[in-house]
Amino acid sequence: MLGYILRRLALTVPVIIGILLVTFVIKSLIPTDAVTAMFQGQVTEQEAKVAIDAMRHQFGLDQPWYIQFGHYVTGVVQGDFGTSVRTRRPVLDEIGFRYLNTLELTFAALLVALVVGVLSGIIAAYRRDSWMDVTATTVSLFGISMPAFFFGLLVIMVFSVWLKWLPVMPRGWTALLLPAATLGLIEAAPLARVTRSAMLEILGRDYMRAARAKGVPERALLFRHALPNALLAVATIVGLQIGHLIGGAFIIEVIFGWRGVGELAVRAIEWRDFAITQGIILIGSATFVTINLVIDVLYTWIDPRIDYSAG
Amino acid sequence: MFKRILLALLLLWAIPARAADETLHFRLGEDPETLFSAKTVSLTANQVIGAYLLDRLVYFDADGHPQPWLATSWTISPDQRVLTFKLRTGVKFTDGTDFNAQAAKYNYDWILDKKNASPLLARIGSLQKVDAPDDTTLIFTFDKPFAPFFSYLASASFGINSPTAMAKYGDQYGRNPVGTGPYMLKSWVPGTEITFVRNPHYQQFRGDALNKGLPYASTVVLTVISEEAVAQAALESGELTAGSVAADALDNIVKNPALKVVINKTVTNLLFLEFNETHPPFDDERVRRAVGYALDREAVVKAAYNGYAHPMLGPLANGIPGYDAAIGEKYGTPFNPAKAKALFAEAGYKPGPDGKLAKDGKPLALSLKSYSGFETINRTLSIIQSNLADLGIDSKIETADWGSFYPSLLKPDWDMDLMRWTSSDASVLTSIARSPGHRNMTLANSKQDEILDRCQTLVDQAQRNGCVVEAQTSLLETATFAPILSDWLVTITQANVKGYHLDYFNGVIVGDIQTES
Amino acid sequence: MSATTIGTATDEAPPRATGLRWLGRQLLRQPQAQLGVTALLIIFVCAVIAPALVPYDPLQVDAIHRLLPPSAAHWFGTDELGRDLFSRVLTGTRYFALVCLVSVSISAGFGILLGLLAGAGAYWTDMAIMRVMDIVLAFPFILLILAVVAILGPSLWTAMIAVGIAGIPNYARLVRGQVLAVKHEDYVEAMRAIGAGPLRILFGTVFPNVISQIVVYTSFAMPVAVLSASALSFLGLGAQPPLPEWGAMVVGGRTFIRTSWWVVASPGLAIFLAVFSCNLLGNALRDVLDPRSAPK
Repeated sequence: MLGYILRRLALTVPVIIGILLVTFVIKSLIPTDAVTAMFQGQVTEQEAKVAIDAMRHQFGLDQPWYIQFGHYVTGVVQGDFGTSVRTRRPVLDEIGFRYLNTLELTFAALLVALVVGVLSGIIAAYRRDSWMDVTATTVSLFGISMPAFFFGLLVIMVFSVWLKWLPVMPRGWTALLLPAATLGLIEAAPLARVTRSAMLEILGRDYMRAARAKGVPERALLFRHALPNALLAVATIVGLQIGHLIGGAFIIEVIFGWRGVGELAVRAIEWRDFAITQGIILIGSATFVTINLVIDVLYTWIDPRIDYSAG
Repeated sequence: MFKRILLALLLLWAIPARAADETLHFRLGEDPETLFSAKTVSLTANQVIGAYLLDRLVYFDADGHPQPWLATSWTISPDQRVLTFKLRTGVKFTDGTDFNAQAAKYNYDWILDKKNASPLLARIGSLQKVDAPDDTTLIFTFDKPFAPFFSYLASASFGINSPTAMAKYGDQYGRNPVGTGPYMLKSWVPGTEITFVRNPHYQQFRGDALNKGLPYASTVVLTVISEEAVAQAALESGELTAGSVAADALDNIVKNPALKVVINKTVTNLLFLEFNETHPPFDDERVRRAVGYALDREAVVKAAYNGYAHPMLGPLANGIPGYDAAIGEKYGTPFNPAKAKALFAEAGYKPGPDGKLAKDGKPLALSLKSYSGFETINRTLSIIQSNLADLGIDSKIETADWGSFYPSLLKPDWDMDLMRWTSSDASVLTSIARSPGHRNMTLANSKQDEILDRCQTLVDQAQRNGCVVEAQTSLLETATFAPILSDWLVTITQANVKGYHLDYFNGVIVGDIQTES
Repeated sequence: MSATTIGTATDEAPPRATGLRWLGRQLLRQPQAQLGVTALLIIFVCAVIAPALVPYDPLQVDAIHRLLPPSAAHWFGTDELGRDLFSRVLTGTRYFALVCLVSVSISAGFGILLGLLAGAGAYWTDMAIMRVMDIVLAFPFILLILAVVAILGPSLWTAMIAVGIAGIPNYARLVRGQVLAVKHEDYVEAMRAIGAGPLRILFGTVFPNVISQIVVYTSFAMPVAVLSASALSFLGLGAQPPLPEWGAMVVGGRTFIRTSWWVVASPGLAIFLAVFSCNLLGNALRDVLDPRSAPK
């Protein structure tokens, strides 16, 4: 088991280095850096030349990309993730609190997605091909069938503007409700599908038919036998979803003014503040790897037949 | 006795306002990257710094003339190279240290020191040195006269920070700014919220301020709200005291009795078309002028800005000293497709059998660049494209975010770009249009370049305004750019908000704002 | 798998056709799939003949008749520039179809190729390809498009290419997984035994067996591509004005949602219905092919 975990971790190191390498190459291809981005539209480059050159030098942006890459990797190994050119704050300070916010939103959204997705999956499987199946499927597909910014806008309109149920300003715990619900409904569809098909599989097995024939209550069949099996499949999907929710939920974060990593990533790219972008990539990849590992380890716990030590 | 009664009356009058323990909530469109004036040229940062933290030596009155603020008077040497300011006494920074000439000198020396890499180096001209012979005298010495200096002195960029605090916080000063302004920074949650509290020792010296006492509101909270729909809803729910929203949403708001619309039509921005003069067709002045005539500015105002803008024929916004409406009327290119067609024909571009303009059998196809992410810009581009299409010209719109768009203008493969610039000073004309232009695509024109250079050296305001008039005329005569419009500053406040007004450079005087219950 | 089946695989009709025809028959029995297929057919037909159907020029600006509510003259109303929304939404089918086709072709083309190579290739080929795929998968999407914009300049094509590239790893993973699964099946071994070259085995035998999975995945990849492209419009990196791409239309009109709802509602509904149809079809496809929930 431990060997498996170590091997998995070892595999991700080249991937992360590769991502950083590509980031640095792209950075050298893109014609604007964080310094010029700060001055654009306010002061012409000729006028600001002295300041631009001095700041570039200060942040090492005047060096070739491979030197910058070397410095960055050396820094990261020593725990220094660099400084934002724009705010002059350490990257970890910029990302830290936002990372917690994003985790909060991610888990809240997952909760919504699990409730909506798994429930509609169960209903759909239980009353297969009935109107309930169709309704459940339709509901689960609702969120995933619209651009996130459109869905988010509709949610704000309905709940904050028309119904006036919730404050619109990003403040307090109620601020979490709308973005989490929106994001959760978007993520519900794959969960519903997986739950439905996994449950159908179990319900269709001979021993289930036999059990049903023997008069075991349908509810017991559903919840004691079919559901646990479905949860295994659900866990895989959840792992993937956490991965792309962290950093991938940027549109929802932007629309709802949620100060998360995704929103910061959008801004950082707009500002060309690559120290932040790189920090987000690192922290995002690390989270992704960790969560998938945890889920794989959980598998062996849920289903002891799975053994990774051999593979 | 009489004096005492008067005092009591005065106090009675002053107390209700002064004791106001209210909190104002304003919208910020984005989080400022720093609140250190010498480290930023961002509009948002300067708005915040200027309104809450830093007072300046001078401000501009409603007629565009500099007036004393932290300075009491000034003299200009005959050769216009030396400016001597007399400063107020008894003013303190909010950290308790004294404001005086040495403190001011420290600020300007900091900017002058190249190793500090201040972007304001671009705004000090040939400033040589700053002297403070005594506590109340501050002397600026320039190599060459520098005309825009007063406008810049009045901007937040040249407000005075506490030298003690600057030294204490070093590179982190931008997170811990200290000035003599009406408010002090209390807390700043990055990306989310900035909270200011009243400066209990504030003295208001501005002549245009309504409230000469302490600021009315004890606390001001600025919340970052980037999404328009959210800002609008927050205004309607009363969560925001005031904030700006997109012009598109205003139709709804003007009908709402709970909200008030404050419109400022004297503004410092200009939306205009620029041309790449280094290759055909825009190396030909007639073609540039023809495009000017082709622009249906009224349509842009109405359809792209929902009517909250005014069409512009001259190259200088109406809020910049030196603006003269008559120039645009006389030399501008108002919408006139027939004239446009005639000028194109004169330059050799005539309609072919398919109705498309062509020269020597080659149809005219233009590229039109701009920056993305702004619906007003996108719509303006679509209207321009449609205007050109009406004349038989195909154009291709290319938008990308600033960081991609602006550098791409250095490559000469484009024809036109739609640009918007905000500046409080006429030097913006020189920055943009003095050959080779800010993107190296403006042809040299010795007469025009001489005027633009000269305008930068006239410190005397009357002389300078005369030169700026010449510059505006020349820019229209050479059709260096085609002005389109200036958009208005629209702020929405709750109906019970009193005293929300903007100064000449569109800065808000926060101490004047109060709400009636 | 018996020797007779080997004969079938090599000598008779290729399994792909059989598979797809069977798939089609199964599908058309499902009401969800019927709905999805009909909607998509309508969209693609509209995309082809849109220029003949539109009552107005979708780009014609008219500042006087702006923001008109739906009426007999303008079925969906007019937008903020006075353009006829019905014409624009109808023309938008072209960009929906274009994004689907171009982005998904790029994703599928490169993804299938790389997946086959990785699955059938040597250990190190597999390792190298899949690690590169991991990099693309974990790479920030917006940064990717900025790079493409820096190289190609901004346009809808740039957005489609970036969306396409971002979708490659999923195809590669899917195909690789399927190849690994069938690699050691008897019939493939048998092909090898009768002396078929690796390419012939790959494209002649292995590929047809994974194609149904690819079809299913594509039905989900298409809506994802369309939504990604519209997300780019939201960030100002997608379709260029005045193109009537639905996502860009929603973004452009969203400030009017309170005053002139139809400006947002028509493109918003269009994109919802189109993507929803894709998803319905995808669900149905997966149902049909999923052995666990196969039709009773």
